Amino acid sequence: MTAMRMRRYVQAPGPVGEISELPLLQRAETLDRVYVGYGLLVVALVFASYLLGAFGWLPHDPQAMNVGLINAAPLTPGHPLGTDFLGRDLQSRLILGIQAYFLPGLLAVAISLVGGSVLGILAGYQGGWADTVVTYFDNLLDSFPRLVLILLVIAAFKPDIYYIMVVVGVTGMPVIANLIAGKIAFLRQKSFIEAAHALGLPARTVILKHILWYNCRALLVIQATLGMAEAILVETSLSYLGFGVQEPTPSWGNMVQAGANYFLQGNFWPSTAPALAILATILGFQLLGDGLNNILEGKRRR
Amino acid sequence: MKLSAIKPIGRVLARELAVTALLLLGVSVVVFAILYAAPGDPLDVLLGGQSPRSELALGMREALGVPRTWYGQYAAWFGKMLEGNFGNSIRTGLPVLPELARVGVNTLYLTLGSLLLTLAIALPIAVHAAAHGDTAGNTAATVVAYVLSAVPVFWFGYIVVYVFIHRLGMFPLISGTAGRQPHAWLYFLVPIFVLGTASGTLSEMIRHLREELSRVLAEDYIRTARAKGAAVWRHAFKEGFLIPVTEIMSAKIPFLLGGAVIVEQVFNWPGMGRMAWQAAQDRDYPVIMGIALAAAAFVRLGNLLQRVVFTAVNPRASRE
Repeated sequence: MTAMRMRRYVQAPGPVGEISELPLLQRAETLDRVYVGYGLLVVALVFASYLLGAFGWLPHDPQAMNVGLINAAPLTPGHPLGTDFLGRDLQSRLILGIQAYFLPGLLAVAISLVGGSVLGILAGYQGGWADTVVTYFDNLLDSFPRLVLILLVIAAFKPDIYYIMVVVGVTGMPVIANLIAGKIAFLRQKSFIEAAHALGLPARTVILKHILWYNCRALLVIQATLGMAEAILVETSLSYLGFGVQEPTPSWGNMVQAGANYFLQGNFWPSTAPALAILATILGFQLLGDGLNNILEGKRRR
Repeated sequence: MKLSAIKPIGRVLARELAVTALLLLGVSVVVFAILYAAPGDPLDVLLGGQSPRSELALGMREALGVPRTWYGQYAAWFGKMLEGNFGNSIRTGLPVLPELARVGVNTLYLTLGSLLLTLAIALPIAVHAAAHGDTAGNTAATVVAYVLSAVPVFWFGYIVVYVFIHRLGMFPLISGTAGRQPHAWLYFLVPIFVLGTASGTLSEMIRHLREELSRVLAEDYIRTARAKGAAVWRHAFKEGFLIPVTEIMSAKIPFLLGGAVIVEQVFNWPGMGRMAWQAAQDRDYPVIMGIALAAAAFVRLGNLLQRVVFTAVNPRASRE
C-alpha cells in the first residue's frame, strides 16, 4: 500500500537553485520588507515585555484593585490603557499576560522543531519503510483537530498549560517533517547528498551540517515563528475557554473573557484591549514567517 | 465523466478506504493511549476513592469483567465501539453515539457553511491576483485577509453580535435550538459568518489558491492554449482551480472543527464543539473520546473525497 505524502499548504520550500545572488534586502519586495519589519518589531516588543513582566517592572501592581475606577477608558490619568472590571491597570495586566504563553510557546516550538526534524530526516534521508511510517504518522496526527485533541488531554489529565503545549508541539511536527523531507528530496535531485557521501563525510556531518544547517535553517526559523503564532492562538483560545491560566492571573484570553460581560452593555474596551494585543502579536509572528519565507526561500509572487 | 476515468477512481477508492481504515484504527489507539495513560481509574470513582490495589477493587474488576492487560482493555473497548456502543456520558448518563449524531449535524452546518464562505471570499481575490498580478486592490485585500486571519475569533464573535444583533437588530437573538421563530434560520448565518471570516484560514487559502493558479497559468500548455486563442480558463480549470480548491478545503477541515469549539461557545451553538468543551470541563471521558473519534472520521472523510477528485482529474495518480 502506498502511503500518501500530503502536500503542505503552509510554506512549501522554494526551488533552492533559483535564489539570486543579490543581497537579501535588495531582492526583497517592499511588501515583504514591511511584513518582516513589522514582525521583528512585534517580536522585540513581546520579548521586552516578557522581561518586564518577569522582573516585575510594571507601571502598576497588576492585582491592585481600584473600585473607584472600574472599566476606565484609555488615556485615563495614570492608566494609559484604562482599567478592567475590578479597576486593575490594563497596561500592567497586558504586559504580565505575556508570561502565560511565552515560555510554554517556546517549549511547543522546540518540540515541533526537534521532533519534526527527526521525522523529516528519517523520511527523507533514510527513505523506504521509514518514509512510509513517518507519512502514516503525519497523517494520523493530522486527523485530529488540534483543539479537540487538547480538550481530550485536558479531560484525561489536567488543564495544565505545559501539557497543552506538548500537544501543540507534537501536532506541529508533521508540517516541519514534511518540509524537511521535501527539502532532502530536492537536494537528492541535485546529487547534493551523493556528492557529500562521495567526499567521505560521515552521515552525521551530512545530516547536521549540510542538510539541517546549510539548507534547512531558514525553513526552521520560519516555522518557529509560525509555530509561535499557533501557540499564542492556542493559549489565548484555551484561557478564553477557561482551561488555561485562571483569574486573577492575567492571560490575554481570560482578559477578553472577563471583559466580555461588559461588552454587550456597550463597554468594549476591557475586552478589546487584550483582543487587539492578540491580533497584533499573532499578525506579527505570521507576517514575519511569511515575509521571511518569501525572501529566504525564494518563493516569488508572480 | 469519461468511462476511462472510472476504473482508476475505483482503484484509488479501494486503496484510500484501506488507508482511511488503518488511520482510523491508529486514531482509536491514540485516543485509548491518552485515556490509558491518564491518572485515575473510572473504578476509583465507582469505589469512592478506595485504593485500586485493594482486594475489593480487584474483586470488582473481576466481577465487571474488566480485562487486566492494556491490550485486553483496548480490544474490549474497540469491540464495543464496533457494535456502536461508545459508552454513556458520565454527566448525563445518556449513550454517547446518538447524542453525537444529534449535535454533530449542527457542527456540520457550521463548518461546511463557513468553509464555503471562506472560499467565496478567497476565490475572487486569488483569481484576480493570479490573473492580474499585484494591483493596489488585491494587495489591499490580501493584507486585510491577513489581519482578519489574526483576529481572535472569540472577540470577533462579540463584535458581530453587538453590531448586527444589538445595534442593527438584523437577526433575532435566540439560540439555534429554538427553531420555531419565524426568522430562526437567519441566526444560523451569524456564527457561520464569524467562523468563515475569522477562523484564521482566509489568508492561507488566498495564498495557496493564488500560488497554484499562477503556477499553472505560467505552464507551457496554457501558453499554447493562449497562442491558439483557446479558452485559457477551460484549460487551467482542472489543475489550477479544481485541485487546489479541493486540497485546501480538505486540509482546512481540522482547523474549522477546532474553530467551531470556540465559535459554538460564543454563540451557545448546540454542536460538537460545545459538547467537547462541556465534556472537558466535567472530565467526561466517553463524550470527549467520541467527539475526538467523530472529528477524526470527518477529517479523514474530507481527505478521502479530495483524493477521489484528484484521481478523477488526474488518473495517473492511481498508479503511483
